[in-house]
Amino acid sequence: MANILVVEDDKDLNAAYKIILESAKHHVKTAFNGLEALEILKTYTPDLILLDLLMPVMGGLELLEKYRLKNHPDVQVLIFTNMENSPEVSKAYALGATRCIIKSWTAPQNLNKVVNDTLKETSKVAG
Amino acid sequence: MADISSQICESQQVINDVLFDSIGDGAVTTDEFGKVTRINPTAEAILGFSPKEAIGVWLPKLYAPYDDSGRQLPITERPMTQAFVTGQITSAHVNYRHKEGHLVRVALTVSPIMSGDKLVGSIQIFRDISAEYEIDKMKSDFISLASHQLRTPLSSVKTYSHMLLDGYMGKLTSPQTKALKTIISAANRMNETVSTLLNISRIESGKVVVERKLLSVNKLFDSVVEEHSLVASEKTIKFKINYPPGSLKLYSDVVVLKEVLGNLISNAIKYTPANGTITLSGKIPKKGNQLVISVADTGVGIPIESHANIFSKFYRAENVVRQETSGIGLGLYLVKGLMDELNGKVWFKSAEDKGTTFYLSLPLRSPAREKTKPIVKSKSSGKVKKATAKTRVGVA
Repeated sequence: MANILVVEDDKDLNAAYKIILESAKHHVKTAFNGLEALEILKTYTPDLILLDLLMPVMGGLELLEKYRLKNHPDVQVLIFTNMENSPEVSKAYALGATRCIIKSWTAPQNLNKVVNDTLKETSKVAG
Repeated sequence: MADISSQICESQQVINDVLFDSIGDGAVTTDEFGKVTRINPTAEAILGFSPKEAIGVWLPKLYAPYDDSGRQLPITERPMTQAFVTGQITSAHVNYRHKEGHLVRVALTVSPIMSGDKLVGSIQIFRDISAEYEIDKMKSDFISLASHQLRTPLSSVKTYSHMLLDGYMGKLTSPQTKALKTIISAANRMNETVSTLLNISRIESGKVVVERKLLSVNKLFDSVVEEHSLVASEKTIKFKINYPPGSLKLYSDVVVLKEVLGNLISNAIKYTPANGTITLSGKIPKKGNQLVISVADTGVGIPIESHANIFSKFYRAENVVRQETSGIGLGLYLVKGLMDELNGKVWFKSAEDKGTTFYLSLPLRSPAREKTKPIVKSKSSGKVKKATAKTRVGVA
């Protein structure tokens, strides 16, 4: 059970991720762009951010630049994008993202698995 | 008599001059030391140097080729050097710096001029392809953007289909489950097509980066077979694996290799009738420091008249067009492009109705001996392969 912030501009996918993650007993908050996410992150420290890259108003990379993961070592970032292995993904890793998943290849049951694996890796590192 | 000979020579010289100056492409000749001996008006227009400025100057001092990142190619990697060293015609796409400073993209061919066995000079022919290059870049950018936009709705289709299938919205009847599986299968096919298009646009725009690491060939085999076992089992097709001797480690790119093998195995499944067998093998031939991987099927085979075109873009053999409607003829084109990126080779043996075996050969080099990929290759296509690529090939 973890606190997860979903940042995804596609309303259908945003709602789907919430349902899937909540089915695995995670607490989920949602935002539809980077700016909304930054507002939430002022008062909320999730265990994991599920982050899309291409979004209107503020994209995922700009959010990572502004949020500064170095200052939040316990927050994992799982990039969830369709920009497969693009320069944007490399930049997201450089900004501290933990993993990158291709949306259109990931079935719901795999989403929970990847989230749980990422969280487990974190606890290993922390332990 | 001497006067007549002299007049003939002079008139021949005039004809040669006119011919040289009339060539529609840029043409520059050098002596055996690389000093410019002639430059035609088209070359003058492309480079900005007049014959007065160019003739007698050592060509590398006058102008040099640059790669796309603006790096001047070292002397050893320049097409002219390669032509001089190998004595072979060398083709490449490079950027030349105009006298006024801007770069001009050119398709270049350097031919050594030989007198018997002796090198006596060279001739460079080049054409300004800046406009074509820009169009090609726009095309690749468009494919990349379009592929991304195609995937976004696909993600929703797949996610919600899986949610239905997994019971998030209640229990389904058997026909509903069957219908959903059909939707997911179609979405997967479209996803594969989008991935292929993306990868091809990356290869064609030189944006593939190859990241070599030591990898276990046995694990690679297990992984690709596992990924395709469900689809194969639906057609009751069996897999057989012949591992290479020992626990062989290969110094290569696992993502690219999975893409290559995945394409070959998908094809094998698609074109092998029910109850067939697909055999994945790895062997090290006695001669040569190479690993040869083969994917053999018991499928419909490739008709002999299609053999020459099988790696061409959008080509599909006539017998498979008749039998199997899906497919756009890009899989093997992609395989060939990716094997080029890995410095490997791909070939096949096949006869109609007797199955097909595709072979891949990959160099078995240690990391220390792995050479950096050359910036310029002398290929008949004249296509430049860049070492400074930017993007990983996608996992399909």
